[in-house]
Amino acid sequence: MPKCTINGKEVEVKEGTSIIEAMQQSGDRIAHYCWHPGLSVAGVCRLCMVEIEGNPRVQIACNTMVTEGMKINNTSDKVKDAVKWGLDFHLINHPLDCPICDQAGECGLQDQYMEYGKYDPEMAEPKQKKHKVVDLGPTVVLDSERCILCSRCVRFTEEVSKTNELGLFNRGDRTEIGTHDGMPLDNKYSLNTVDICPVGALTSKDFRFRQRVWYLKDAETVCNGCSTGCNVKVYYNREGFFRVKPVYNEQVNGYWMCDEGRDIYKFVNKDVRYVKAQVRTNGGWTEMHAGAAAKAASEVLKASAGDSAALVLTAQYTVEEFEAIVNTFVNEFKSKKVYFWINNKETFDSFDNLLIRGDKNPNTKGLLKVLEKHGISATWADLSAGLSSGAIKTVVVAGPENLAVFPDFAERAKEISKAQNVIWLQAAKHDALAQMNNNAWIIPMKTFVEKDGTFINHAGLEQKFKKATVVVSEALTLTEAALLLSGKNLTIQATPANEFLPLNQRPDQVELEARKKNEFVFKRGSL
Amino acid sequence: MSVMQNNSEKAKWYLPGVLGGLAITGKHLIKNLFNQKKMMTLNYPEEKYEYSPRFKGNHILTVKKDGSLRCTACMLCATNCPAECIKIVAAEHNDPSVEKFPIQYEIDILRCVFCGYCEEACPVDAVRLGPEWQTPAVNGGKFIYDINHLAYRPNLKGGIQTHVDDEERHKQGI
Repeated sequence: MPKCTINGKEVEVKEGTSIIEAMQQSGDRIAHYCWHPGLSVAGVCRLCMVEIEGNPRVQIACNTMVTEGMKINNTSDKVKDAVKWGLDFHLINHPLDCPICDQAGECGLQDQYMEYGKYDPEMAEPKQKKHKVVDLGPTVVLDSERCILCSRCVRFTEEVSKTNELGLFNRGDRTEIGTHDGMPLDNKYSLNTVDICPVGALTSKDFRFRQRVWYLKDAETVCNGCSTGCNVKVYYNREGFFRVKPVYNEQVNGYWMCDEGRDIYKFVNKDVRYVKAQVRTNGGWTEMHAGAAAKAASEVLKASAGDSAALVLTAQYTVEEFEAIVNTFVNEFKSKKVYFWINNKETFDSFDNLLIRGDKNPNTKGLLKVLEKHGISATWADLSAGLSSGAIKTVVVAGPENLAVFPDFAERAKEISKAQNVIWLQAAKHDALAQMNNNAWIIPMKTFVEKDGTFINHAGLEQKFKKATVVVSEALTLTEAALLLSGKNLTIQATPANEFLPLNQRPDQVELEARKKNEFVFKRGSL
Repeated sequence: MSVMQNNSEKAKWYLPGVLGGLAITGKHLIKNLFNQKKMMTLNYPEEKYEYSPRFKGNHILTVKKDGSLRCTACMLCATNCPAECIKIVAAEHNDPSVEKFPIQYEIDILRCVFCGYCEEACPVDAVRLGPEWQTPAVNGGKFIYDINHLAYRPNLKGGIQTHVDDEERHKQGI
């Protein structure tokens, strides 16, 4: 365990740690474009310069290992000068089209320039012009001019996705990133290259030009796309959700996430959601408030309590919600007819050896755990039989959030609508539901970004997540729906008055700093 | 607010004041009748006052030589706007040298405070505050200025060109 001194602080690191990793550990800031903790060391950007005592020249921190007693400094004038010149070389051919570039606001070059730059450029030569708006594949657009050739994306396709689509072509200042002839950048992890691009050379076709990043707020949550349960950040503002990015978690997803998972923001946005409850009684559809519809539905449920009521669950809700609704069914309605709607049984166990799993539900394990706890082992065949014989009169369905992974949705909806009354709890709109011709209550649900809860992933890891924001304020969580369906009222739990206040503060005192964080304000002036 | 009351004897003599005021009005009436050109007032809708070109009035979106919008939809004006009255929706342009352009650029002129921060923020001289100052409209919708109004309203005569030229800049290799 060598000990070293970084900017005057003593740090003890593991054997074989590079200086840049030691600096991350000690919390010192250091610029790095080509170094990425999840990729191999390239040492091409020359920006992580540090001064090591006893060494006449500055060194790069990413490819120099820490040795015992090393004294490292990255705040000296010598380092600043080196970084300044390094930055100057990076900016020789960079077009500085920040107004157009999507990376503006979270760009490494911008940050570095604000820290070390702010000088007049000393290059008299015209800039080297390269290709603009190169269509690399179905998801990514390249702007070669903005590229600073850090080779992160190339190393990503070599080392992580192992698809080798990208390469560096030509020499000197004509070097460009590109794909090999006739080989588009088309793999299931391609958008990670956009995340790791330190400048705006690679941009996502999906997010491109839709929002400036400084208008977005972010919140950490757990991906709802498959049973891996990647830790992700969702980016949103009052207009809706715009993108998803991975968050490092060594146990689950490392630094990456798949392209499919990046679509999970799409079924959260208001335009694809039920905003009001749709109720069909006496032959016509009417709109109702979600809570009122659930209350009305509870009357029907009560009338058919016992064996004529059934519950269908998809594995897209949280453990707490499953517990609440199954508990209501077993204890209030005395019905053990609870069925697990399995969407694609054949591919459930497939795995691509990186992240993507065939089970496209985030919480299959959680649902099975709750069902097991209540001793429920009914299968879909039982439900089908009950529906055709007319033994099951009322069905409550906790429908999927992510409709894209339920290809059999329309058929199953048709089958379920054989029942006299269907109470369908779901977030996303679907035509098959509007075509039901029995008594139906479609009640809007909250999606995973709008509630607290726990997902249990394929490996049995319990991951808690917090509410990010509210999209459809009227929608219910499954817990709330369970309460209302059993005829109870929702209660608002009062927060203890001084839970968050330190003891030396008046109860009514609000600090400006805290208020600023809570308010939704654009980060004006932070540029 | 405090009210001052003058209860002196002199204050009861109001007639001289009234007559004095009438005399001034009468003087102006006769002056204007016989010398209409030197009248101090304007017949507003027909005659309009021209402010200096530096006056910060209604916004103008400048155009390139080919008449297309200069704006790159970078949203700096919207970000900088203290009244949050600018709304921009960006889209991808077919021309790769343009890349990004606004398909919607709206200014809610009723919220605007004419501070000029938008033109200060604009990196490409695309938005300016022009010398026009009249903002009458019949209903609320007319107060939201869209691209058509901002760049191509009739009195701009086909749009105002800016001195910044991308093509020349590109040719010089900057």
